[in-house]
Parts: sequence; structure tokens; C-alpha cells
Amino acid sequence: MDAHKNQHSIGSKTGMWLFILSEILLFGGLFILYSVYRYKYAFAFHLAAEELSRPFGTINTLILITSSLTMALSILYLKKGDRTSSLLFLAATMFLGFLFLFIKYFEWAGKVSHQIFPNSPRLLERNQGEILFYGLYYSMTGLHALHLLVGLGVLFIMGILIAKQKENSPNVVPLENSGLYWHLVDIIWIFLFPLFYLIT
Amino acid sequence: MENNEKPSIVNHRTYLAVWVGLIILTTITVSVASRNLGQWSIAVALTIAAIKAGLVLSYFMHLKYERGIGLFKWMIPGILILFILFIGLTFFDVAFR
Repeated sequence: MDAHKNQHSIGSKTGMWLFILSEILLFGGLFILYSVYRYKYAFAFHLAAEELSRPFGTINTLILITSSLTMALSILYLKKGDRTSSLLFLAATMFLGFLFLFIKYFEWAGKVSHQIFPNSPRLLERNQGEILFYGLYYSMTGLHALHLLVGLGVLFIMGILIAKQKENSPNVVPLENSGLYWHLVDIIWIFLFPLFYLIT
Repeated sequence: MENNEKPSIVNHRTYLAVWVGLIILTTITVSVASRNLGQWSIAVALTIAAIKAGLVLSYFMHLKYERGIGLFKWMIPGILILFILFIGLTFFDVAFR
């Protein structure tokens, strides 16, 4: 029985890792696109990146790193059988995720109010490199934000499942797999941040 | 089955230490970016990002503690090598076109 359960957990974890690898390749393609254009239009990328808000980017990085910590702690407490603390840290993780999206929203809204968004007349007046920079900026941070939104949905469902579980030794594997996804989203941001906000 | 994970190895102190490390690396990468390192700045930024990703992978995502055949341990470096190879080949093409 126990061995069977263990085998099941290894199987689902392997599946999760395979999914993560496919995600890495999905973003990887965009990173390759980014690096080629940055190589071709180095100066325009530098100019365009100056306009991004470094404080916003830094704060969001700190928020996501902290949310990864609370996620790991939530899993740790569930393993120990402390459901209340686990749910508390899960809620903290979701709060930080929302905070990230909230700041991202302000960042995007600020850019859009300056008429800088894909295909806007003001942006199309600029040179090719800057247009490409903003195209990549919107698609890559947008895809990342979409992943975060999905992650928030997954964590919400996990919270309900954990709260509903009656037994004292809850099944940790679903929360662990959700955690792996959440950390992946964090790792992607760890690379997006210096590539978009810290170009010198 | 012997390839159980040992949950007792990671405690919250380890997680806190990793978190502090990630915060410190973030401040380093931000402060380095405001100094003008020229060509080196991208190398420094990517190195720090790679260290941060490594910390998250090995501690938060438990790769360091995986037991058994070590499948997870080799999948990630494998895919990263493949990815670096792709970048290398792409640049080989772009640079000599």
C-alpha cells in the first residue's frame, strides 16, 4: 500500500518535471529571440530599457523571491501535519502573487498612458530596435504574468483541497507539484528582471 | 522502495538562509547594474541570475535532496546544456551570416 502510494508520487512528480522542462523550452525560444535582437540592436535596447522603472522591477523581484519562500514553508508545514500554518503561508504566497500582478498592472498602465504599447503610433515612430524591445517586453512579461495568474488559480484550489482534507496525514504531493510550478515562475522572472530592467 | 525523499533534511532555517541569499544577490545585481561595467555587465547579470536560479532549484525545488536514480537531477542540467547549445548555434548563424 505504502509502496504503491510512493510509486504514484514519483510518477506524478516526474510528470510535473517534464511539464516544467517544456515550459523552459517555451520561454527559452523567446529568450533566444531576445538575445539575437539585443545583439543586433544593442544601443536601441539600451535606450528603451532606460525607460523601464528599475524600482518597480526590483520590488517585484523581491516580492516573488519572498513568495517562493512562503510557498516552500507552506509545503514544509503540510509535511509536518500543521495544516493551519500551511494554509496561512499559502495565503501569504497568493497575497504576494497578487501584489506582483498589481505592481505589474501599474507598470503597464503607465507605459500605455505614455502611448507605448505594441502597434501604437507613438511607438511605431521610433526605430526598429526599440519597437522590437517593447514587443518582447510585452510578450515576455505578459506570458510570465499569465503563468502567475494560472499559478494563483492552482494555489487557490490547493487551499480549498487542504482545508477540506479531514485525515491527519494529508497528501503532500499535489501541493509539492504546485510549489514546483510556482518556483518555476519565480525562476523565469529571475532571468527576465536583469534582461529587461538592468541593461546598461 | 528506498528512493524516498527525506523531509527531515530541509528545515525552515535552511529556507530562510536561501531567501536571505537571494535577497543579497538581488541587491548585488541591481547595484552592479548602476555601475558602468560595459561589456561585462551582461555576463555579471546572467551569472548572478544563474546562481539565483540554482539556489531556487536545489533548495526550494528540492533537487539537492532527490534520492534514487537521480532522474530529476540530470533532466534539468541536460535541458540547460541543450538550451545553451541552441543559443550558441543561433549566434554562430547570426554572427557569420
